[in-house]
Amino acid sequence: MVQHFRRYFAKKLIYVIFTVFLILTFNFILFRVMPGDVTRIVIPKGAAPGSDTFERLSHYYGLDQSKPVQYFKYISQLLQGDLGESISFETGWKVGDILGPFLFNTLILVGMGTVLSIFFGMWLGRVTAWKRGKATDRVGSAFFLMFYCMPTFLFALLMLTLAARFVPDWPIRGAYSSTYYSMDWTDKIGDRLVHTMLPLFALVIETIATFSIITRSSLIDVMTEEYMVTAVAKGLSSREILRKHAMPNAMLPVMTVVAMNVGWILSGSIMIEIVFSYQGLGYLTYYAVLDQDYPLLQAAFMLEAVAVVIANFIADLMLMALDPRVNV
Amino acid sequence: MTAPVDGRRGWARFGGLLSRTRRERIKLLQKSVYKIWKQYRQSLGGMIGLSVLVFFILIAVLAPVISTFENPDDISWNRVNPTYVPPSSKFLLGTDYHGRDVYSLTVWGTRASLIVGFLASLISIVLGTGVGLISGYFGKLYDEVLMRFTDFFLVIPWFPLMIVFATLLGRSFTNVIIVIGITSWPSTARIVRAQVLSIKEKTFVERAISVGAGSGRIISRHILPNVFPLIFANTILLVANSIFSESFLDFFGLGDPSVISWGTVLESAYENAAFSSYAWWNILAPGACIIILIMAFYLIGDALDEVMNPKLRRR
Repeated sequence: MVQHFRRYFAKKLIYVIFTVFLILTFNFILFRVMPGDVTRIVIPKGAAPGSDTFERLSHYYGLDQSKPVQYFKYISQLLQGDLGESISFETGWKVGDILGPFLFNTLILVGMGTVLSIFFGMWLGRVTAWKRGKATDRVGSAFFLMFYCMPTFLFALLMLTLAARFVPDWPIRGAYSSTYYSMDWTDKIGDRLVHTMLPLFALVIETIATFSIITRSSLIDVMTEEYMVTAVAKGLSSREILRKHAMPNAMLPVMTVVAMNVGWILSGSIMIEIVFSYQGLGYLTYYAVLDQDYPLLQAAFMLEAVAVVIANFIADLMLMALDPRVNV
Repeated sequence: MTAPVDGRRGWARFGGLLSRTRRERIKLLQKSVYKIWKQYRQSLGGMIGLSVLVFFILIAVLAPVISTFENPDDISWNRVNPTYVPPSSKFLLGTDYHGRDVYSLTVWGTRASLIVGFLASLISIVLGTGVGLISGYFGKLYDEVLMRFTDFFLVIPWFPLMIVFATLLGRSFTNVIIVIGITSWPSTARIVRAQVLSIKEKTFVERAISVGAGSGRIISRHILPNVFPLIFANTILLVANSIFSESFLDFFGLGDPSVISWGTVLESAYENAAFSSYAWWNILAPGACIIILIMAFYLIGDALDEVMNPKLRRR
C-alpha cells in the first residue's frame, strides 16, 4: 500500500515538474517568439534604442543574442527567482517584489472561498438530493441553475450595485483601507475581514452552484444502488443511511470535480478581484493588461498556471488517500 | 451524363442527379431529424430555451426596426441626452453615462453576442473535432503527441490564457472570436477522441476496412456521423461559454471598443460608476440578457443531450 502510494506520488511529481517546465517554455514562446517586436514587449516605451535603459535591458534579457540563448537565459533567471523588470511601475522594480502581496491577497480569497464553497455546496447538494422532487429541491435547483449560468463578474457587479445603494458606508473597493499599514494587528485582521466579505461572498455563491449540482447528481446516483435498499431493510434511520452509506460513496466524484475546478475558481476570483478592485493576482493581471506591462503579465500568468497545476497535484494525492482504487 | 430514367419533371429531376443511395440517405436523414424533433418537443426546458433563443435571434435580425436608432453609429457618443436618465417612455431603459439609449444599445448588442457565440464555437468545434479524430483514428504517435498537447491546454487555466492571447493579439472583433475559439477546443478534442476509440472497434468499421475503404472514407462516412450526436449537445454548451467569454473580454477592456455589445455596455457602466449613481438599468438590461441567453443555451443543450445520447443518462 505504502509502496503503491510512493510510486503514485513519484509518477505524479514527475508529471508536475514536466508540466511546469512546459508552462515556462510556453510562456517564453508566447511573449518572445510570437510575431511582433520583442523590444516593444519587455522594454518601457520611453526608452529609445541607444539609451541606457534600453541597452541595459537588452543585455539583461539577451535580446542581442539568438533565441536559444535568450531561452536559456530566461530559464536560468527564472530558476533563480528573477522574473524580470516591470515596465509600468517605476523603473528598476523587480516583478518578483511586486507579486508578493498580490499573491497573498489572492490566496486568502481563493483559499477561504474554496473551503467555504466545498462545505456549503456539499451541504446544499445533500439537502436537495434528499428532498428530490419536492418543493425544496425544485426551488434549490432552479437557483443553482441560475447562478451556474450567471457569469461571475455579473454577480459581483450586482453585489457592488446593491452594496453601494443600501450600505453606502461599506468599503467596496480594495483588499484593505488606505490606513492599513499604520494599524496594529487586531485592527488589520478586522479591516481585512470587512473588505474581504463581499468578494468572498460573491466567489462562494458562484462556486457553490457547481459543487451542489455535482453533489446532488452524484448522491442521486448512489441512492439507486442496491446497498441502499439493504440499508433501509436493516432498519437504519434515514439520517444514518445518508451519513454512513450514501455520502462516503457520493464524495468521490465530488472530489474529482473540485480538483478539476481549481482553475475555474481562480478564473472566478480574477473577475471578482477586478470588479471589487481587490488587490490580488487577477487585479494585477488587469492592471498589467491596461498598462501593457508585459513582463508583469507574463509573471502573473505563469504564477496562475503553476498554481493550478500544483492544486491539481494536491487534489490527486487527496483522491488517492480517499480512494485506494485509484490507479495512476 | 444520362437523363433521368423515369422522366420526372421539375425539382424531381435534380433528384435524378443524385444516385439512388444518396436519395435514400437523405430520406433517412430527414426521418431521423424528424424523430429527434418529436422527442425534443416533449422536453419543457428545451422548448423554453429554444423559444428564448429564437426570440433573441429575431431581436438581432430586426435590430434596425425595433431599436429607436436605425443605425448603431447614431447612438452617438456625444452627450445629446443627459447622463443616467431613469427609464421613461422616451428612453425605455434609460440612458447611460454618455447619454446613449440603453434599450437601443442592448438591442444592437444582441448581434455581437450571437455572432461571437456561433463563430467562436465553430472554430473550437473544427479544431477539437480535427484533433480528436486524428488522434483517435490514427493512434500511435499522432495520439501521443496530440493528446499531450491537448492535456497541456486543459491544465492551463483557460481564463488567464484567454486574457494573455487577447492582449498579445490586440483589440478587434475578429481577434475576440479567434481567441475564444482557440482556447476552448481541448475538451471537445477529448470527448471526440474517446468516442472515436470506441467506434473504431465496431464491426461496421472492420467491414469497411475489409472491402477496401480508405481512411478518408471511413472517417467521413462511418466515424463522423456517429461522433456527431455527441459533439452536437456539447456545441450548444460551447456557444453559451463563448457568449460568456465575449461579454467578459469586452468588460475587461479587451474587446473591440467600436463594436456595441452587452460587454462594452457593461464596461462603460462600470468605468463611469453606474453602480454608485444607482443607475441600475444600465447594468440590469445587458446583464439580464447575458444570463437569460446563456441559460437558454444550457436548457437546449440539456434537452438535446437527453434526446441524442439517451444511454449517457441514467436518471
